[in-house]
Amino acid sequence: MPLIRRTPDGVQPDRPDAGEALATLTHGTRQKRWAAARALSDAPDAAEALGRALSSEDDPHVREAILTSLLRLRSAASIQAILPHLRSDNASLRTGALDALRAMPDVAGPHLPELLRDADPDVRLLACDLARSLRVADATHLLYGLLEVEREANICAAALDVLAEIGGPEALPVLARCAERFHDHPFLAFSIKVVTERLSAQTPRHRG
Amino acid sequence: MTEEEFRRLCDFLYRRTGMVFTEAKRYYVQRRVTDRMTATGATSFPSYFARLRGDLNGELEQFINVFTVNETYFYREDHQLRCLTTDLLMECVRAKPPGEVVRIWSVPCSTGEEPYSIAIWLLENWPQVDAYDIEIVGSDIDTRALEAAREGVFGKRALMRLTPDLVAKYFVPVGPEQWRVLEDLRQSVRFTPVNLVETGETRAHGRFDVIFCRNVLIYFDDASRRLAAENLYENLLPGGYICLGHSESMSRISPLFEVRRYVDAIVYQRPPGGARG
Repeated sequence: MPLIRRTPDGVQPDRPDAGEALATLTHGTRQKRWAAARALSDAPDAAEALGRALSSEDDPHVREAILTSLLRLRSAASIQAILPHLRSDNASLRTGALDALRAMPDVAGPHLPELLRDADPDVRLLACDLARSLRVADATHLLYGLLEVEREANICAAALDVLAEIGGPEALPVLARCAERFHDHPFLAFSIKVVTERLSAQTPRHRG
Repeated sequence: MTEEEFRRLCDFLYRRTGMVFTEAKRYYVQRRVTDRMTATGATSFPSYFARLRGDLNGELEQFINVFTVNETYFYREDHQLRCLTTDLLMECVRAKPPGEVVRIWSVPCSTGEEPYSIAIWLLENWPQVDAYDIEIVGSDIDTRALEAAREGVFGKRALMRLTPDLVAKYFVPVGPEQWRVLEDLRQSVRFTPVNLVETGETRAHGRFDVIFCRNVLIYFDDASRRLAAENLYENLLPGGYICLGHSESMSRISPLFEVRRYVDAIVYQRPPGGARG
C-alpha cells in the first residue's frame, strides 16, 4: 500500500513575547513579522504599533495577521489604528481595513457618522458598506441622511445597495427626493427605481 | 440556566473554541449542558460552570465533545474527491520527483469517514498512486471522535455511498451491520487532535499539498474564521489546495487564497511560488 504514516516534523511556532514582537513586527523575515503580529493579538497597548506596521507591510499574509490581531483586540485603539487605512492607495489594504471594521460593528459603528461625512468620497463610499453590519435602525437612519445630502452619484448608489437589503417603506420619500436630485443620472435613477419597487413590496413586519 | 448564564457560557465557548452560539441556539446549548450536568452530578448551573472553568476531571474536553457535530459518511461530496485525483494532485506532483511524499490533511475529520474515503479513493482512482508516498492525516478537536476514527468501525449508514465491492475490499464485517476498516488502511492514516484557531497546534502538523476543511468554518465567528484561515494558509505548501464545504467560500473569509475552478469543484489555492517562510 503506497500510503505511509509518519511522525510529525515537530515544527514549533515562534511565539515571541510582547516586547520581542513589537521589535520584530516591522523587521526580520516574513515569518517573524507574521509571528509578531499574531503574538500581539492579546496586547492591548500594541494597537498603535500594529496600525503603523500596516502602513509599511507589503506581504498580504502578514497584513492579514495584523488586521486579525487588531480585530481580536476589538478596542477603540484598534479602530483608531485601522481607520487611516481606509484612505490607503493600496486597494487590498483598503478592503482589508474595511473587512476588519465590518467584523466589529459594536466598536466601529460610532465612527460611521463621521465617515459618512468625510471629505474623501472614497471613504464615504466604503463607509456605506460598513453600515451593512450595523443594527438596522442605526444603519438606515444614517443612510437616509446621506441620501438627502450626498452629491456623488456613486456614493448614493453604494448606499442604495445596502438599503435594498436593510431598508424599509419609510425610505420611499427619501428615495424620491434623491431621484429628483439626480434626475440626469440614468444609472442612479434606475437603481432608485429597483430599490423603490423592492421596498414598496415590503411591510414593516418583514424586516426582521 | 438564566439569560445571563447562557451568555457567560457562550462567551466561554467562544473564547475556548471559536464556536458561536446565539440565542437562536439556546435550546441546543441548554440540552447539552443538562446532559453534562447529569453526567457530572452537578446540581446547579453555577456549580457545573465552576467545574467546567476549572477543567475538573477533564470536563472541558468532555464539554467540547458534546458540542461538535460528527455526522458524516464515506464519499461525501465525492465531486471534490474526483477533483483531487483529476486535477489537484496532478498539479501538486508536477514539481515533485517520484518517491516524494504527498501530504493530505482532513480537518476536522470527525470519526474518520473523510480521511479513510480519501485513502480509498486514491487507491482506486489515482493512476499515480504507486509512484508517490502518500501521507494522510485526520485531525479534530473532539478526542472522542478521534478514538472512534482510530477504531475504524462503521455502520450501514456511513457506508451507504460505497459499492458492495469497495466495502468487501476495504472492510471486514465485525457485527450486525457493522464493518471495520482493514488493519493496513487504519494504520496508514494518522489521527491527531487539533484546534484550528490555535496556531501552535496547527503549525505542529507541518505543511500539506491538499487540505480538506469542510463544514467547520461556518460555525466560527469572523475573528476565529480569519484566524483559522490564516493558520490553514500556513499549513499549505505554496501552490497547495484547500477544499471547503459546498456552502462555504474562502473568498468571504480571506483574500490570501486564489479561487481555482475545475470541472468537478471550486477549490482555493495558496499562490504558488510564495515564500516558504
